[in-house]
Order: sequence, then structure tokens, then C-alpha cells
Amino acid sequence: MVMRIARKELLEMTRDGRFRVAGGVVLLLLLTALGLGWSRHADVTAAHETAVAQEREIWEAQGEKSPHSASHYGVYAFKPTGRLAFFDTGTEAYTGVTVWLESHKQNQFLYRPARDGNTLQRFGELTAATVLQLLMPLLIILLAFSAFAGERESGTLRQVLSLGVRRRDLAIGKALGVAGALALLLVPAVLLGAAALTAATADSESGGLMRTLLLAGAYLLYLGAFVGVTLAVSARAPSARFALVGLLGFWVFVCLAAPRAATDLAKAYYPTPSAQEFAAALADEKEAGIDGVDYEDFLEARKQELLAEYGVDDVEALPINYGGWRFEVSEEYGNQFFDLHYSRLWDQFEAQDRFRQRVGFAAPLLAVRSLSMSLAGSDFAHFRWFAEQAEQYRRRLVAFLNNDMRDNAGAAAFSYRQDRRLWRQAPVFAYDAPDALWALSGQSEAVAALVLWPVLSAFLAWGAAARLKP
Amino acid sequence: MLEARGLTKFYGSLKALDSLDLLIEPGQVFCLLGANGAGKTTTINLFLDFIEASAGEARVHGLQVAEHPLETKKHLAYIPERVMLYRNLTGLENLEYFTALAGHEEYSQDQLRGFLTEAGLSEEAIDRRISAYSKGMRQKVGIAIAVAKKAKALLLDEPTSGLDPKASTEFSELLKRLSGEGVAVLMATHDLFRAKETGTHVGIMNRGRLVAHLTTEEIGHADLERLYLEHMRG
Repeated sequence: MVMRIARKELLEMTRDGRFRVAGGVVLLLLLTALGLGWSRHADVTAAHETAVAQEREIWEAQGEKSPHSASHYGVYAFKPTGRLAFFDTGTEAYTGVTVWLESHKQNQFLYRPARDGNTLQRFGELTAATVLQLLMPLLIILLAFSAFAGERESGTLRQVLSLGVRRRDLAIGKALGVAGALALLLVPAVLLGAAALTAATADSESGGLMRTLLLAGAYLLYLGAFVGVTLAVSARAPSARFALVGLLGFWVFVCLAAPRAATDLAKAYYPTPSAQEFAAALADEKEAGIDGVDYEDFLEARKQELLAEYGVDDVEALPINYGGWRFEVSEEYGNQFFDLHYSRLWDQFEAQDRFRQRVGFAAPLLAVRSLSMSLAGSDFAHFRWFAEQAEQYRRRLVAFLNNDMRDNAGAAAFSYRQDRRLWRQAPVFAYDAPDALWALSGQSEAVAALVLWPVLSAFLAWGAAARLKP
Repeated sequence: MLEARGLTKFYGSLKALDSLDLLIEPGQVFCLLGANGAGKTTTINLFLDFIEASAGEARVHGLQVAEHPLETKKHLAYIPERVMLYRNLTGLENLEYFTALAGHEEYSQDQLRGFLTEAGLSEEAIDRRISAYSKGMRQKVGIAIAVAKKAKALLLDEPTSGLDPKASTEFSELLKRLSGEGVAVLMATHDLFRAKETGTHVGIMNRGRLVAHLTTEEIGHADLERLYLEHMRG
């Protein structure tokens, strides 16, 4: 019975010009987005691999110089783009994927395309994720707003109900019919996406399959919620026109108004400084020191410890190179401030993300968006994971160079030279990507909202169908 | 087969149906006459459980409609004044869908076509989409749906409106055949002539009340018309 109803709904939809046009447009956009995403991803990955290889070559070929000069010469670290980022580019356009690592400074990230973007791009890049998040729900509404209201208006509902059909069978059948119509669009897209995933290089990330399956599940829950809400409204609405207007209002709230409001509110509740303010505050505090202990005091204390350790009373008498040692002390001094300021800033960004996730209980788009970016490895949490590793690497690299000078330069100062042999021994940056469970661990609210929505909407549709009036 | 006991329906303070008592046995064709708003469609809606009775009860095959909404509908077939079908499906696909929902999955395509031609639909119309159908053609599909359901009772709400005289006559023949097979029929109609021809019983309704109830054998056509007009005035 249910399958029979579903089949008829699907047959009607496929013969309906509105569905053909709307479905065709969405499918075209989805495939285009996947194609564009894929080519962008392939470009970025290729560029990344070339850059990583070249960067090491350039580093090793920097010629003879003092190790501290080499630490100023610096290296670039690149965040590998996850395989799924072609599907959802997340916040990478804003956070950047490249950072220059040098001594004395924890730098801001580079390559942030959003900085060069125009107003149109602000609205959002065309990715498969945005098509699924924004346009699919619209299509569901167009497909199903008249499911009950339209049949009631045309009078077919009276005849169907006069046959002794269970109202809930009708509701399930209609839901399956819409699902079938969506499957017609999603199956080709999923096949293309799967092909792209298989072709992508797998080394950049762990838990790829798990992430993909979870991602698919998240979108099914999200779209399922819209099917439920649409059927519930259609069953309760006095007319098809009323159902359509109401559902479009719901879409505008969920997909346009709520995300905008959530972002503004998140910024208001968890304010973050501008890049200039951040840099200025960092510089000021570094100058002033912690609890009145500025760099001179810090250095003096460490110097006394050092002299005591070697049992000498002047730096000239030390068996190590004092200059190299002092460079590392200045790193240690500076790092306290980087740790403090960056973690304070990043905690705020994460609090903003959490806030947006929580709005997902009111507007499921925010929940699926958060979860989607996270599983695609392109959200802020993944950025931070990378940035912290890059920073740890910077400290290891700079310490390696300073310590070489401390141990081997003797009495020489800047005349001390090192060459390729040392540069080769310098640590290499190896990115350790987090797995799917790590990604999920920060998404508990998004997951809860995404489970709650379809359950609640199914419940509403179930109740509305049971009380369906002919 | 169809029974109303003190069946009453209020819409606010308006009494749409006032203590209707009615019993239609298998094989009887009961024609309900009356002006628009007399309560004919209300009666049919109550038998279909589309609206809730304010008092009294409607029974189908001995079962109270309000308590057994699905079970009682298994015994009923309903043809409204304007049969509404799915525009993007053909006549055959509509029939197939409706009979399947009624629980008859067993019919072959040939049998389904048979129901449609029997109802008077032309061969070439069967595979055309409903959007190209006239009202009369849709009524014929509605008749085919009702016949294919093999119900024990028919609820007809001016089923022949929009049918041409030939189709209308064929429909009367069909009703006679079905009542001969023991089907109980409740038909709301404006057509006194048709009521006299096909009905076994006639009831006249006015403002929610059944004001006259007689068998067609008792009365000639002219008498029926006179009686009807008398009650309308009253």
C-alpha cells in the first residue's frame, strides 16, 4: 500500500513540469559544484605538493649563513586540504591554509582568498554542500507543499480517504515518494562524488570513509527534517497556497535569516579583536611583560640561573655560545605571549562556532553546516589543530637552529656559519590529521540538533496526518 | 446495509441534518431528493466519516461509522458530484491506483480496461491523461472505480451531473444491475425522472429533515413531482 502510494507520487512528480525544471536546475548546480570543487581541490592539492617539495629544497639550498639568520629566513607550512574539502570548503577561505614560520613570531595565516573576494562571493562559494544545504530544502518544499493541501483542494483526498486508506499510510507513502524523487537527483551526484573521492589522494587525512559516511548521514537527516516539516505543514494548512507561503517563510528563516543572525549574535556575545588590535595588544603586553617581569628581567633571571649552573660569574667565561642561548630565551619569553593571546583568540572563535551550533536547534541549517565543515575537515577546529601543530613545529625548528649556535659557535658571534649539512638535519613538518571521531567530538550539539529535527518533524507529520481532514 | 439512527449534524447553530432515520437494505436504491442545502451531501459525508455527527449514528453493514472508520469504508464506494482525479496520470493509471488503494491489487490491465469501457469511456481515452478529460469522462472513471471496488453499498452524490443522456441512461442500467446483485445504493439527486426510474425508494429532504419517504412503486412520476414541489414550498 505504502509503496503503491510512493510510486504514484513519484510518477506524478516526474511528469510534472515544475519538478522537471526545478529538479534539473538543482541537479545541474549540484554536478557543477562537484566538478568545480573537484578541479579546485585537484589544483590546490597539486600546488600544495609542489610547494611542500620546493619549500624544503629552497630551505636546504639557502646557502651558508648563521643558524639564526636561517631562522629568520623561515619556512612555509601548508595545511593539506582534506579529500572531502572539495565537497565543503568550509572556512578555509577565511582562515587560510598557509603560514610562514620564522623565529620571534607566531605569524597570522596567509592565502585567505576571502580577503580578495567581492560582495557576491561573500554570499557563499558554490559548493556541493551549499547546494544541498540551501537549494535541496527549497526543492523539497516545491515538491511536497501540495502533498495534502493540494489534494484536499482538488478533491482527490476525499476520494482517496473514501476508499478506506489509512491516513498514516498516505503520509508515509508521500514521504517515500518525495524521497524517491530526491534520490533521482542525489544518486548521480553521489556517484560522481564517490568517483571523485576514489580518485583523490588519500594520504592527507585519516578516517576518510568514516567521515564520508557520517557526512552522508548528516545530510539525510537534514533533508529528512525538511520532508517531515513540509508534509506536516501541508497536512495542516487550510490551502496549498497557505502551505507554500508558510514553508517558504520557514526556508527563509532557516536558510537565510537564522545563519545571518547567528553569526552577528556570535560576534556580539564572543567578540574578537581585529588583526591590528590583536597585534597591538600582543606587542604591548610583550613590552610590559607578565606581572611586571619584562624581557630584561626575564633574561636577567635566566642568566643568573645559567651562570650558577656553570659556576661562573660572567657570560664570557661560559663554555657555550651566549648569543645562541639568549636567542632561545627570547623565544621562550615570546612564546608565553603567543600561547596566551592565540589561545584566547581561538577560544573565542570556537565559542562562536559552538554558539552557531546551538542555534541549530532552532534552524537545522546551522547544525548541518557545522557538522559538514567539520567532517570535511575544513572548519575552524581543524584549522586550529593544524595551526597548533605548525606552531609547535616552528618552536622545534627555531630551537634546533638556536641550540646549534649555542653548542657549536663557541666565542664567535655572527661570523659563525652553517651550511646545507645542518639545514638537512632540521626537523621536517609532518602534519598529523585528526580522525573522524575527533571531528565529531566537537560537534555534539550539532549532532543532537540534527537527530532531533527529523524525529520531531516526523512526529509532527505523523500527528498532522492522523488528523487529516478531507 | 446502510442505516442512520437519529443522525443529526449542526454547523454552529445551523441544523444541517435533523434526526435522520433511514434503513437501506441490500438491493435497494434510495434516492434522496431535495434542494441545495437540504442535507443530502451532509448525510453522505456522515456515512463516509468525513464529518462528525452531532447526535445519532450512521452504520454500514451493522458497524458504527465513527468507531470503525476504516472497516466501514471497505464496504462503501463513493462517487461525488465532480469526480477528481490525478491530472498527470491517465484514466487507466488513475483507476489502477484507486483500486489498488481500495485493496484490489488483483486486477489485470485487461480487466481494468474492461471496467472503463463498461463505464462508457472510449478505448482511445483510456490511455490519455486526465488533464485532457471532460467532466463527463471523469465521472465515467469514477463509476469504474466504484464498480471495481465491488462494494456492498454505494454512496452517490449527484453522480450523473455532467453526463450526456446516453451515458446517464447507461449509468441507470448499471445501477439496476448492481442492485440486482444485492448492492445497497444511497443516491443524492436533483433528477426526479431518474429517481423514479432507477430508485426503489425515494426520500424528500427539506432543511435537514426527511419530510417524505416512499417507495417508487407507490407513486407515479407526476405525483412525485407534485409531492416534491409541495414539500419545497412547505
